[in-house]
Amino acid sequence: MPSYPDATGLIFNIQKYSVHDGPGIRTIVFFKGCPLRCRWCSNPESQSMKEELGYNRDKCLACGTCVRVCPEDALTLSPEGVNIDRTRCSMDQLCSRACPAEALTVYGTRRSVEDILNDVEQDSVFYARSGGGMTLSGGEPLAQPEFALALLSEARKRRIHRALETCAFVPEETMLRAAELLNYLLIDIKCMDSEKHRNGTGVPNDRILSNIRAVRAAFPSLPIHIRTPVVPGFNDNDEDIRAIAEFVRESGCARYEPLAYHRLGTQKYRFLGLDYPLGDKELSEERFERLRQIAASLCPAPHGEGAA
Amino acid sequence: MLDTCCYSPQEQILIAGAGGKSNPHRNTHKRLFEILETFDGMPPIIDIERARLFTASMKTTEGQPLVLRWAKALRHIAENITVYVDDRQLIAGRCGTDRGRYGILYPELDGDFMGESMNSLAQRASAPIHADPEDVRIVIEEISPYWQGKTFHEDLIRTLPDDAKHLAYNDEKGHSTRFICSETASYRSSQQWVLDYAKVINRGFASIRAEAKERLDALDALSPTDMLRKKPFLEAVIITCDAIVTWARRHAVLAREKAAREQNPDRVRELLQIAEHCERVPEFPARTFHEAIQAQWFAQAFSRLEQRTGTIISNGRMDQYLYPLFRKDKEEGRLSDEQALELFDCLWLNMAQFTDLSLSAGGAATQEGYAHWEAVTIGGQTPEGADATNELTYLILESRRISPMPYPDLATRIHARSPERFLWEIAETVKVGQGYPKLFNDEEIIPLHVAKGADPRSAYDYTASGCAEIRMPNLDTMTSAGCQVNLGAALEMTLRNGRMKKHGDALMGLETGDPREFTTWEEFWSAYVAQQTHLIKYAYLNQMIIHELRGRHFAGPLSSCLHDLCMASCMDLHCSEHIPGGIELGFFDVIGFSTLVDSLSAVRKFVFEERRVSMDELIRALDCNFEGMEPLRRLLGSAPRFGNADPYADAIGKAVDRAAQDYCRRYMAETGLHIDIRTVSVTANVPHGKEVGALPNGRKDWMPLSDGSSPSHGADVKGPTATLISQYNSKNWDYTERAARLLNIKFSPKCLEGEEGSRRLVSFIRAFCDLKLWHLQFNVINRETLVAAQDEPDRYKGLIIRIAGYSAYFTELSRDLQNDLIARTEHGSI
Repeated sequence: MPSYPDATGLIFNIQKYSVHDGPGIRTIVFFKGCPLRCRWCSNPESQSMKEELGYNRDKCLACGTCVRVCPEDALTLSPEGVNIDRTRCSMDQLCSRACPAEALTVYGTRRSVEDILNDVEQDSVFYARSGGGMTLSGGEPLAQPEFALALLSEARKRRIHRALETCAFVPEETMLRAAELLNYLLIDIKCMDSEKHRNGTGVPNDRILSNIRAVRAAFPSLPIHIRTPVVPGFNDNDEDIRAIAEFVRESGCARYEPLAYHRLGTQKYRFLGLDYPLGDKELSEERFERLRQIAASLCPAPHGEGAA
Repeated sequence: MLDTCCYSPQEQILIAGAGGKSNPHRNTHKRLFEILETFDGMPPIIDIERARLFTASMKTTEGQPLVLRWAKALRHIAENITVYVDDRQLIAGRCGTDRGRYGILYPELDGDFMGESMNSLAQRASAPIHADPEDVRIVIEEISPYWQGKTFHEDLIRTLPDDAKHLAYNDEKGHSTRFICSETASYRSSQQWVLDYAKVINRGFASIRAEAKERLDALDALSPTDMLRKKPFLEAVIITCDAIVTWARRHAVLAREKAAREQNPDRVRELLQIAEHCERVPEFPARTFHEAIQAQWFAQAFSRLEQRTGTIISNGRMDQYLYPLFRKDKEEGRLSDEQALELFDCLWLNMAQFTDLSLSAGGAATQEGYAHWEAVTIGGQTPEGADATNELTYLILESRRISPMPYPDLATRIHARSPERFLWEIAETVKVGQGYPKLFNDEEIIPLHVAKGADPRSAYDYTASGCAEIRMPNLDTMTSAGCQVNLGAALEMTLRNGRMKKHGDALMGLETGDPREFTTWEEFWSAYVAQQTHLIKYAYLNQMIIHELRGRHFAGPLSSCLHDLCMASCMDLHCSEHIPGGIELGFFDVIGFSTLVDSLSAVRKFVFEERRVSMDELIRALDCNFEGMEPLRRLLGSAPRFGNADPYADAIGKAVDRAAQDYCRRYMAETGLHIDIRTVSVTANVPHGKEVGALPNGRKDWMPLSDGSSPSHGADVKGPTATLISQYNSKNWDYTERAARLLNIKFSPKCLEGEEGSRRLVSFIRAFCDLKLWHLQFNVINRETLVAAQDEPDRYKGLIIRIAGYSAYFTELSRDLQNDLIARTEHGSI
């Protein structure tokens, strides 16, 4: 096992002043790599465990610098912008470093625990005043288990409040080792019907549900905040939401919150040369409001608390 | 959109458009809306009466001591100027016409070119000002001729050395400002100031007059200094005390005349009450809250007749000096909160109608629109260091939340033990989106001023004054307006061996060498520091000249008689000599701080460290304004930038600040003035930008420089916490030669929505206090701004928007989602 401050992992963003993923003002560390393939995923750059090249045509100046520096001839310039032959690309990052317009970017940077925490700790005064801290998100943080545990463990040493946003599709042992280091846990439940869950995300839900129960049993005082992305055509119906809410209530999780589906990620699919699997489905405000009320009737928000 | 100091476009829209129509507070604030409708949206009118009367008096007193001449001029004005008791008003008095918003003239300042300016002001496309042709004729034929050769403006131009003038003016006469190292003294008689209103309310001018009389009688008739210096001062105080009382009493006569003609019995009662108040105050101590407000307004308005104080005299700590009578009236059943709010409305309406007119183009450009900020200060600590908030604090906040007028500006003092309720109500007021209140941080300001030489009691009792500045009304004695140093110009001179794009081959700065021959960042940096220091030298030099000259041109018997130290020494506040016991706190402004830091960062990183760009290539790109060189421009813009908590950029910011303070430390002692670096631009970042060609941060020719100490347009991409951390990182905590730093932060209303939004804003304010930053103000951005952000995404990069279960940066979203959010925000906005 590497010494903790030196452990490294692949992350794709550190976002300051985040206010919706755990209490207070927080900094989110986004991990790369995820075992799920949700069709509505809004962070497609988070899925792969490897670095990836993104290309934003809106920023491109068509200056041809990237084409000139690429030793693999993976890039060509056309009237539509730069074409990337991803089979040739060796991810040497020469093009993204040379790009003056930041149109070519690499998703994924290997960083050490110490380096990340120094960045996170810049905002310590805001955490102290708001009850905030660090949230690990992604991707799936526990898909890089040793790195995630190292980060949480060092953060505990520095007395930084720690939250984790996870899909919970991880070995129970990993889940429990992480939970021991946490102050707040956010887990997504997409659907209670395992087969339907597999259709939407690529994996069944039994391990997710059993992990939630295991954490509840082992760490009853750790608040678990369950969320559901309400996706049109998948789970935007009374039955699905009610079933999740009932599970949340019965398992004794602290809070349940449906989140309205959005299409924020569609642009990033384009950057990666991918198609958006969900097309242009919409979730009406009225429907979401009704589902939110169903959720609230079964799992009322904790007293004195609005959003986290 | 300009990031302005204390007013915003949305506020202008409010003042022009809302006009009280269908305002939800209309029914409970009837008088406010009825009076507001009489002037709302109208261009201000120039009233020449003060200028005419002042000039007439000055013609007859030549050769006498200046303070005495000033007092006699005030007496002449007080006895002859038209007095007004406005319909519906409960607080009497104005300094000029009752036909709408108005401004008055100060020929002692710029009377030599006043007539021509008035003609051009009316023609101005934006922010026109109305001048009656007959008035223009009077100014040109009767007022201006007397002042030819006598104004402060002309004397300053005559006295400044040629090399200083070369950096300050485009023309020989000094009518056109050159924003390289410019002065602001020629378009205001005094730097921002605050009167000791508690004296007016608690003692009254009869008591001050008696004090002056007693001292006059006690003078040593054989002492030459007593006779030459003290006697005229004390006589001037007596005349001035009589003058303001005369002026107030004329309002009583008018109110009684109006009452005699009035049919409505309610209004008759009000007019008779006004008459009683005007017979009582400001001569004697106020007995009620209503009288206190009348006394405060009389003093404030009369001080406007006395002097053009830059950005208008401020209101001081209103929740402190008005509190005893408020409390007494409430306890004795004389006053309800509703009545107090109505009196505040009446007072704010009087302030909103008086406009601070800048006749010179230079003055107007640094203070665009009709900006004036007679800041009201609330909260903070008592002179003993206890929390000072009280019921009146909250009532004033409520009043400013309700009022659809941007005036007066509201300043809140924050400290470590500010009550949670105070911060919550501030948050709720910020969320209204009118751009106020601004925050002042006791935890920075008080210890810093003690370190600068203030006694703790005065420091604890400081008040906001003007834009981001403070005053200790019985300790501060420096009223000379400062100079502005264009940091963009200093950098341009470094890149062009002392020359500037706009001025071709003319040598504007030092010849620090051809930068193409510099081989290290250290060489470049020391050349830059030499250019910056060279400009700061002129700021100091000009300041000394301004300070010496002002004493020969301005006197302020009213403001002096309200100042403990002036009364003790029998010296006028505006004199050039040191007033015993006072501290001389002044400043020079650096304009374009973040533009400079980002540019230096790009040069250091790409030219000297990574060597991806040669100095020659950079200079050629700047020469051609990046035409055809967009890739290079983008690359330069990708360097670490100020406002992102990036140690690379923040360290440069700290070094720039330190180099400036090093100069101050070295030369302050010999000037006797504490002239510190201030990072407040108001709207001067725009004209300063017009002086400077393209810069290495990618900014193009003549575009605005960054405002105050805020990050460059669109440079702050890491959110608001990172912006505060950069401020902290770039301050030199071991130095004391720093003055105000102004910081603007924008939030979308959605981001602060609901109770949770308020809670976050409160945490943010607490963190601001912990970080000991001087000043902070918020723009809460509306739908219109999001549309503008779509059109100019580069300038709105840092705008945070709440989407669904999370927040993101607006300009990083696709056009479609942006459109979606714009539609959502409309019903989501506050």
